[in-house]
Amino acid sequence: MAYAKFSGAPLKVNVIDNTWRGSRGDVPVLTTEDNTISQPAKILNFLRKQKYNADYELSAKQGADTLAYIALLEEKLLPAVLHTFWVESDNYFTVTKPWFASRMPFPLSLILPGRMSKGALTRILLTRGEPPLYHLREVEAQIYRDAKECLNLLSNRLGTSQFFFGDMPSTLDAYVFGFLAPLYKVRFPKVQLQEHLKQLSNLCRFCDDILNSYFRVSLGGYSSDGDATVHISVTIAISQMYLLYFPQMDDNLRQSPQLPPRKLPTLKLTPAEEEMYMVAYLELHALDMNLMESLPLDLSCGVMVNIDSCAKQLDLCSDSLDFLMQIQKNAF
Amino acid sequence: MCLLIWLVIDIFLPCVPVSTAAEPWPENATLYQQLKGEQILLSDNAASLAVQAFLQMCNLPIKVVCRANAEYMSPSGKVPFIHVGNQVVSELGPIVQFVKAKGHSLSDGLDEVQKAEMKAYMELVNNMLLTAELYLQWCDDATVGEITHARYGSPYPWPLNHILAYQKQWEVKRKMKAIGWGNKTLDQVLEDVDQCCQALSQRLGTQPYFFNKQPTELDALVFGHLYTILTTQMTNDELSEKVKNYSNLLAFCRRIEQHYFGKGSSSIRLS
Repeated sequence: MAYAKFSGAPLKVNVIDNTWRGSRGDVPVLTTEDNTISQPAKILNFLRKQKYNADYELSAKQGADTLAYIALLEEKLLPAVLHTFWVESDNYFTVTKPWFASRMPFPLSLILPGRMSKGALTRILLTRGEPPLYHLREVEAQIYRDAKECLNLLSNRLGTSQFFFGDMPSTLDAYVFGFLAPLYKVRFPKVQLQEHLKQLSNLCRFCDDILNSYFRVSLGGYSSDGDATVHISVTIAISQMYLLYFPQMDDNLRQSPQLPPRKLPTLKLTPAEEEMYMVAYLELHALDMNLMESLPLDLSCGVMVNIDSCAKQLDLCSDSLDFLMQIQKNAF
Repeated sequence: MCLLIWLVIDIFLPCVPVSTAAEPWPENATLYQQLKGEQILLSDNAASLAVQAFLQMCNLPIKVVCRANAEYMSPSGKVPFIHVGNQVVSELGPIVQFVKAKGHSLSDGLDEVQKAEMKAYMELVNNMLLTAELYLQWCDDATVGEITHARYGSPYPWPLNHILAYQKQWEVKRKMKAIGWGNKTLDQVLEDVDQCCQALSQRLGTQPYFFNKQPTELDALVFGHLYTILTTQMTNDELSEKVKNYSNLLAFCRRIEQHYFGKGSSSIRLS
């Protein structure tokens, strides 16, 4: 069965009609920096700077709202999400750890998941585990209560509109999606938060909309629902991990080229080919993250240029590269 | 031993009477904080002022009492806390809920979306402003050496004052590291404060309060932090400079100070 597959974790930033994929996250093999706090400010900083080039969609007030909601998410929802993924032992051992371990080179696969789990637990205890909550059980109860309240607040804010600020997605949508999608889609043994989320139908619809629009390639080529679900889940789980661990997104965002809105090409790959494509992508990605930064998974025009330059710079001759180039030739 | 404590808490906690709504607000309600002149630090002062502002806005009388061991008296380890009747409640969030249970609330007039926004902005202030204040107090060496260490342990004799100060510093540094602020430089922290102030300023716009005509707990919280930042002498004034860039926030603080704390002229310097 098609099991743990990586794909890049995009963060979409929408400025007028320019949509481009921000930097991609990968399991940080070298560093485990947690820069979530600085990111919102940097995101907005970047958005503001774009103002000098072109108007941007979000009004000043909406920008301020984004910052506020991100702070709310980090404070109320993040501990519970961290707990569901990393601390809850059933979930951690059956789902999270095998995924991450299977894609990390040995011996990091033994060390890093454990370290991430401990980091998550420390963070929860230090930020929420203060007296009078003396026992982990009580802390858990409190953070899940807060998380449910936060989900209700988000649902109230979203209402019936498609995205949080009207018809086009924005940073806040990406952020919320990064939190909600893993909760929504991943099949965990212990799922209390997931059930609460499923009751909030507008949030579920929001996740589904984004999945359908931006993760289309990931959906193609699978026959059974089970495979597709696992695949999507991993995709999204990586976005969530990206939010926790990806360092210094700001500079990378500025370097990403502004591309006109792209239509995802209707490339049909068989499941086996898709798997090979993923593997190839990952191999190259692991070798040089910066280089592969603007190599999207959706096989649009940018790919061709990057593969060539990538090959030249890496002086690489491998099956993966050949395979990627072949795919391109077939596509274009 | 821990098990025993835990058992005791488990047995006694549910027995605490929860009939808060029954009693009206007594006249002798008191708020406890650390010693104003010598001991209290920026972040604690901000929190205490926020609670005082909130209670003033609800028209509930409160007496402020300064005790050196206020932090240890508090049920959650944080100041300020209020002692009302036979209840002790600490921190702004629980205090707001407690006051609501007694029938006073500032945010009843808001609809659901506005309530969500209010909560989000309160988290923003807590997340950014409060953390920045803590960082400045405990992780910036200049401030720590000159101000914080001296003030924090001042009511206690040597060597207790040093021990307590170092212990608290270690705790705060650990927490900063866990949430990712451990590696930040002072400039980055100041930039974050600027972002936060800008967001608040943009949200406030030209309105008198954040949700137009009526003040809410968000106004109290923002006032508490900004006023304290503006009027506290620190080793470097960069923090207050950042806030002073936003004139509508300054006007907001002055307005609340004059309205609710009845001062004839504002003590916020303009220079």
